[in-house]
Amino acid sequence: MPRALRSYGLMLKWQVLSSKPLLPLEAAVQVMIAAGFVIGISFLYPDVTPTTARFLTTGAPTLILLMTGLVLAPQIVAMARTEGTFDYIWSLPVPRMVYIAADATVWVLVSLPGVILALVIGAVYHNFSLEISPLVVPALLLIALTGIFVGYSIAHGAPRPQLAHLATQIIVFLVMIFSPVIYPVEQLPGWLQALHRGLPIKYMADLSRGTLTDLDVNLGLAFAVVGAWCLAGFVLTYILVHRRR
Amino acid sequence: MKSGNSTSPDMLLEIKHINKEYVKGIRVNDDISLSLQAGEIFGLLGPNGAGKTTLVNQIIGLVKPDSGSIMLDGVDVIANPNFARQACSFQAQTQVPITGLTATQAIELVGRVRGGSAERIRQRTRELIELLEMEEWAKKTAESFSGGMRRLVAFCMAVVEPGRVVILDEPTNDVDPLRRRLLWREVSAIAEMGSAVLLVTHNVLEAERAVGRLAIIDQGKVIGMGTPASLKETDGESMRLELILEPRVEAPLPPGFLQHTFVTGRRLVASLEDSNVAPALEWARNLKETDIVEEFSIGPTTLEDVYVKMVGRPDALEMLDEEVKNAPSAS
Repeated sequence: MPRALRSYGLMLKWQVLSSKPLLPLEAAVQVMIAAGFVIGISFLYPDVTPTTARFLTTGAPTLILLMTGLVLAPQIVAMARTEGTFDYIWSLPVPRMVYIAADATVWVLVSLPGVILALVIGAVYHNFSLEISPLVVPALLLIALTGIFVGYSIAHGAPRPQLAHLATQIIVFLVMIFSPVIYPVEQLPGWLQALHRGLPIKYMADLSRGTLTDLDVNLGLAFAVVGAWCLAGFVLTYILVHRRR
Repeated sequence: MKSGNSTSPDMLLEIKHINKEYVKGIRVNDDISLSLQAGEIFGLLGPNGAGKTTLVNQIIGLVKPDSGSIMLDGVDVIANPNFARQACSFQAQTQVPITGLTATQAIELVGRVRGGSAERIRQRTRELIELLEMEEWAKKTAESFSGGMRRLVAFCMAVVEPGRVVILDEPTNDVDPLRRRLLWREVSAIAEMGSAVLLVTHNVLEAERAVGRLAIIDQGKVIGMGTPASLKETDGESMRLELILEPRVEAPLPPGFLQHTFVTGRRLVASLEDSNVAPALEWARNLKETDIVEEFSIGPTTLEDVYVKMVGRPDALEMLDEEVKNAPSAS
């Protein structure tokens, strides 16, 4: 274990240093996304009710975390696959899941400012106070990790890296527009509602909403469903990164 | 895990009868067997697509062979890829992910990841940077590096805390001639410290000077193995003639005493027996006088001649020339 911890520390340092050149850009994008979700989208509503404001504000963290996990992370992995970087990384005497853990840590850290900013901007702009439960930490962490592990599964599992890029484009569309994150699930047609009973996105939004507002949410069910997806993503990632050609 | 009885005691790495197909019916590695002793530099030569990188990837557990065995220090590395990754240090042909890192940071990080103590790795990194005259880049981040400098950093990453086996895949590509020489000196030092060095390359000229033994592989098969001298001995003809043609001149028809004539671009290379040196000299002189040939030389056979003859395709040398100049794609 100490060896794995040491490797984790070193790989984390490596990943942080590698992302450093991109960090200012990432930060700028995060601010724009945060403001875009909580303010920009509210322009679509002629009348922003307190509930709508809460949906927009608490939905933003989920969208930011999913953008990072399901879009940014897989795109970077796909790029690294194209460049053959993993032939080098996997040749190092570091357990592969230790590398994955270090990489995931960086992605969580990268999305953190956007998440906090979205919540602050949302509460101030829409003039309401958040009801923050201590469960918000495991809830947001679970959303982030689920997105990242499912993202890794897509990126490492795609037969060709270009297909992973294509998949992320489709996911953006599905998550941003056709998912009940910033609006209630009841607004979707029946078949999409049924689809979202199996997908984790609605439950992620529930986790965020349930731990940040007093809106009525079945948190137990949300933790269970998202937790199951997180585990599945983790196992699939484990299998995929341990494959030998 | 140990199975000492099937391994020769003095062989550190023993590869036996390795077969690998990615696509059914196309053997990328076809019954490859070779072994490396501790302290030796062993060259793996072959044109693009010969199966060199596939073989290396099987040693470090990225690719699983269809059949055959790979024993490293008595341990079956096909069953224990983690052992292989600890025991081998590797300079990949692909770029290393060092964007955002300085040369020093990149080298030190790998040294630490490979288990070296912070102090020893710091000292060894400093040493390597001095040895390869990289001080100017030590504190600069990789974004400002040329291809050659990235390659040098990747080389240092492979040797900062060398494994029992050090695998170098085209270590000198894009590296300037001066530092190439320094790099080869360091490769020898690594071998002297007791590691076995597996050098994968297209660059026959450099390999001839650096390696103790080598294997030439083509289309997945080992087609020749031995010391550079022993490979040249088995060659038969002991001399070589090289002509550089005048621009836009067609290659002349070679006389009968010239064997294995290959023309690539403006260069014509052929082998000949000792007894035919005089007529060859006369033939070449005539061509120079009639402005067909710009310059010519006759000398002892080189490993390059043996290589080209063994690979047996006129394109072998052409590929070689190109790949010495350009960073190669995966082979």
